[in-house]
Amino acid sequence: MRIRKERLTGYLFAMPWFIGFAVFLAYPLVASIYFSFCDYSVLKKPVFIGLDNYRELFSDEVFWITVKNTAIYAALSLPAGMVTALALAMLLNAKVPGTTFFRTVFFLPSLVPMVSLAVLWLWILNGEHGILNEVLRMVGIQGPNWLGDPAWSKPALVVLGVWGVGNAVLIYLAGLQDVPTSLVEAAELDGASAWQKTRHVTIPMISPVILFNLIMGIIGTLQVFTVPYVMFPGGSPARSTYFYAMYLFDNAFLYNKMGYASAMGWIMFLAIFALTMLSLKLSERHVHYGGGGTA
Amino acid sequence: MKRRNLLATVGIEVVLIAMSVVFLFPLLWLISTALKPIEETMRIPPVWIPSKLQWNNFADAMTYGADKLGYIPFLVYARNTLLLCILVVAGTVASNTVVAYAFARLRWRGRDAMFAATLATMMVPFPVLMVPTFALFRHLEWIGTFRPLWVPAWFGSAFSIFLLRQFFRTLPFELSEAAKIDGASEWRVFRDVVLPLCKPAIAVVALFAFMGTWNDFLGPLIYLLDQKTFTLALGLQFYQSQHGGTQWNLLMAASTIVVAPVIVLFFFTQRLFIQGIALTGLK
Amino acid sequence: MLRSRTFRAKILSVNRLSDFTLPGFFLVVAATLAASEIVVREPARPGPVRITYWEKWTGFEGDAMRKVVDDFNKSQNRIFVQLLTVSNVQNKTMLATSAGIPPDVAGIFSSNVAQFVDDRAVTMLDDFCREAGIGPEDYKPVYWNAVTYRGHVWALPSTPATTALHFNTAMMRRAGLDPSRPPSTIEELSAMADRMVQKDAAGRIRVAGFLPAEPGWWNWAWGYFFGGRLWDGKGRITANSPENVRAFEWVQSFPKKYGPNEVQTFRSGFGNFSSPQNAFMSEKVAMVLQGVWMYNFISMYNPELEWAAAPFPHPADRPDLARTTIAEADVLIIPRGAKHPREAFEFIRYVNSRKGMETLCLLQRKNSPLTDVSEEFWRRHPNPYIRLFDSLAASPNAVGTPKLGIWAEYSAELNNAFEEIGLLRKTPKEALDAVTARMQPKLEQYLKRLELREKAEGWK
Repeated sequence: MRIRKERLTGYLFAMPWFIGFAVFLAYPLVASIYFSFCDYSVLKKPVFIGLDNYRELFSDEVFWITVKNTAIYAALSLPAGMVTALALAMLLNAKVPGTTFFRTVFFLPSLVPMVSLAVLWLWILNGEHGILNEVLRMVGIQGPNWLGDPAWSKPALVVLGVWGVGNAVLIYLAGLQDVPTSLVEAAELDGASAWQKTRHVTIPMISPVILFNLIMGIIGTLQVFTVPYVMFPGGSPARSTYFYAMYLFDNAFLYNKMGYASAMGWIMFLAIFALTMLSLKLSERHVHYGGGGTA
Repeated sequence: MKRRNLLATVGIEVVLIAMSVVFLFPLLWLISTALKPIEETMRIPPVWIPSKLQWNNFADAMTYGADKLGYIPFLVYARNTLLLCILVVAGTVASNTVVAYAFARLRWRGRDAMFAATLATMMVPFPVLMVPTFALFRHLEWIGTFRPLWVPAWFGSAFSIFLLRQFFRTLPFELSEAAKIDGASEWRVFRDVVLPLCKPAIAVVALFAFMGTWNDFLGPLIYLLDQKTFTLALGLQFYQSQHGGTQWNLLMAASTIVVAPVIVLFFFTQRLFIQGIALTGLK
Repeated sequence: MLRSRTFRAKILSVNRLSDFTLPGFFLVVAATLAASEIVVREPARPGPVRITYWEKWTGFEGDAMRKVVDDFNKSQNRIFVQLLTVSNVQNKTMLATSAGIPPDVAGIFSSNVAQFVDDRAVTMLDDFCREAGIGPEDYKPVYWNAVTYRGHVWALPSTPATTALHFNTAMMRRAGLDPSRPPSTIEELSAMADRMVQKDAAGRIRVAGFLPAEPGWWNWAWGYFFGGRLWDGKGRITANSPENVRAFEWVQSFPKKYGPNEVQTFRSGFGNFSSPQNAFMSEKVAMVLQGVWMYNFISMYNPELEWAAAPFPHPADRPDLARTTIAEADVLIIPRGAKHPREAFEFIRYVNSRKGMETLCLLQRKNSPLTDVSEEFWRRHPNPYIRLFDSLAASPNAVGTPKLGIWAEYSAELNNAFEEIGLLRKTPKEALDAVTARMQPKLEQYLKRLELREKAEGWK
């Protein structure tokens, strides 16, 4: 009797999520599969056209440009962000004087809303009045035209990304603080150098955190939209900043090709799913659970 | 711990200071530009510190063209954003606490499978849902209103459910058992025993919901039609496209207005923030 | 472990939420909810039929339309027009129409009409026009053409425009050129532009004579000035026609001469169009292709500027292309599903009366799209070159955007080609071949699907 009542209460308590899950996740997900097989615009009813959208996508040059841009961006910004974040977290974990201050400083940029971030960096990277190139000039470097040169527009976005790694720094820091000091001390007694300690004790101990940041990073970077949308209208210069989510958005709301956009959405979902599974699989041998964790 | 040698400490300190300068610089430049007269923004070599602090840049950015047709003052965007934030935060707290309670402290068939499914949905990118969700709200005739932006918050979100569940599970079960022995209903236990003990966790979830709404750009971009309903993020982008390359001081003042509340909030709730973010990394 | 009853009681009493927490919470939510709904919805008021009108203009152009709306509202008491400024109005109108909550009137661009018609987002105006006695004879042909598509009328102009070369006479003098003899051929334009370029010691451009990328609004249109067309009107994309390639070769000659990076850096210092830092207004670029509205911005931001306007030059070997101009219009449509189409048309008709149109065009400093123009209009028009812009509209070489439902995508493609050649990443031929190769199948598929739909849904 008790159990049955609890079960009923359970369903009752979970009800909002059942509804939310069904209406705002499951339904759109299923509907978008259907739409992806349709010619569909905002005003017209969906008309089934089979695999046409997918076939068209695979021969769509711009689709591949956005795939390539997004992949390059992810390949540059993920490692850059993760290495910077981990390095900063390790420095903070050394517990030198002023750690609280430094922690705040590194975290602040990640609080800046995306649109403000984009607007601010448009100003910093401006070709004529940009302060970054002015600073570079002071140390004798002729800075590139960050916003106008297709070779530098993606690196500009990577710089922005690295500036906002504060979140990841804190997550790493939490992980590092859970590494038992006894382990580090044991390594020291064995005469391990700083690098060896890091390589063989610290990194393996926080590997689950690294994996978590990697997966979150993949999901985030593949969807990159707001910052390039504000900074580089139309993915300029010469489509070097035209990312997957921007092309998807343009197809859906500018060209009214919602079926096409849905097909793109599903390909993105499958890519994220595959990459997440791949990361989990590849990491099996390298990620050490237990010990450092708190969950 | 063994005493570290002095040299290493100094070295680390120097690197940290150097990195802090790099990380702080853009924000300082933001504030410096926001306080400059327009001529000083364009000067080469750059003016580092404004000769005279132009505090009225902020007032100008807030009320720019308030008297003129077509320019919506920033204050309207701020009000809209605030309204949305309240509705979203309230909805997030109200729905996710209840749902997480069901996942953490009640037993029902399919619970664990549902929880796994919930976690998996964190992988679903927004763009996949964009088109059908738009079609759904269109069908409900909600386009052009705030509803598409806050109603979903009242039906739970995977991330918040996950965070709260982790918290709820750390409370001893004896606590609720004891209350039930006293004849308290499940709802009473939830409201009077569990909720009060979880205030920090709820605050973290509320904080994230607030940040998410404050920063959201794509949602308002899709669902809001009329300028008088725009949020700050959307308004700032509109402002930028109208005045970009011109009045950088006002644009930076406007950006500061969007950034400042978040940073102020951070200073008041620092501990919660850090706790919350550290918890995000839990496995 | 909570074995002690007193401790349990303590937990329950000390920590429990105050009795006011939940009601207070819901009170705040309810108040916010009410406020959020009021912000969005205009409360219904008794009285005349209220129609909503979305328009893109801000600043003085918005003020001008506001005046016309006020005049209309005062002229009768059955209809009240409410003017709202909406950025990106064509997208927002499309979305609102799809959501079933369109405005009664929307001010879009003539280049959007085809897409709106193909997407069934707009009300046909044939019957309304017939009733009101409005017909092709009332308009200059290029503008009437801009509001018709597939043999029907879908919009009426609000204001039209033509483009011409604007040049800074003081800068010409300083460069040793005769300001009374503006370039009449493309070749002359290039030669004059070269004479006016100034670089600083570091090799950075300080002043330019002419840059095809400024203001960058008609990157797709350069082919027209060389006699090119973007499609054949039936089903073939002609982006890579010899004329279009020649135009892009001319465009590319500028970054080739001045250096692509130097041009990019120079341009990034330009201010927004509507500001004193505008490249032309701040004397950074001496000659620009601009519309009839330019006069107004000059008088607002740099009234001291010495300037003049002349028809945009033509290639020396193509005198038949003299007086080529881009003639586009801002147009008023009634989105499909508008609640008060008849009242909406009343307003559109008022704007298109001679009185309404001349008020609007005078205040916006534009030419009139109507054939019937009053003497007073000419007398009162402040733009010294208004007759030039007006006569350009009647030029046989007045051209508009191609009427293509996929124009948004096509123009994005052309813009990209323009950027690629500007950065010297592709030759004009390569860039335009790529555009053609990409757009041709898209056009075919688009037309095929349109036909299928029309059959399936029984459209006209």
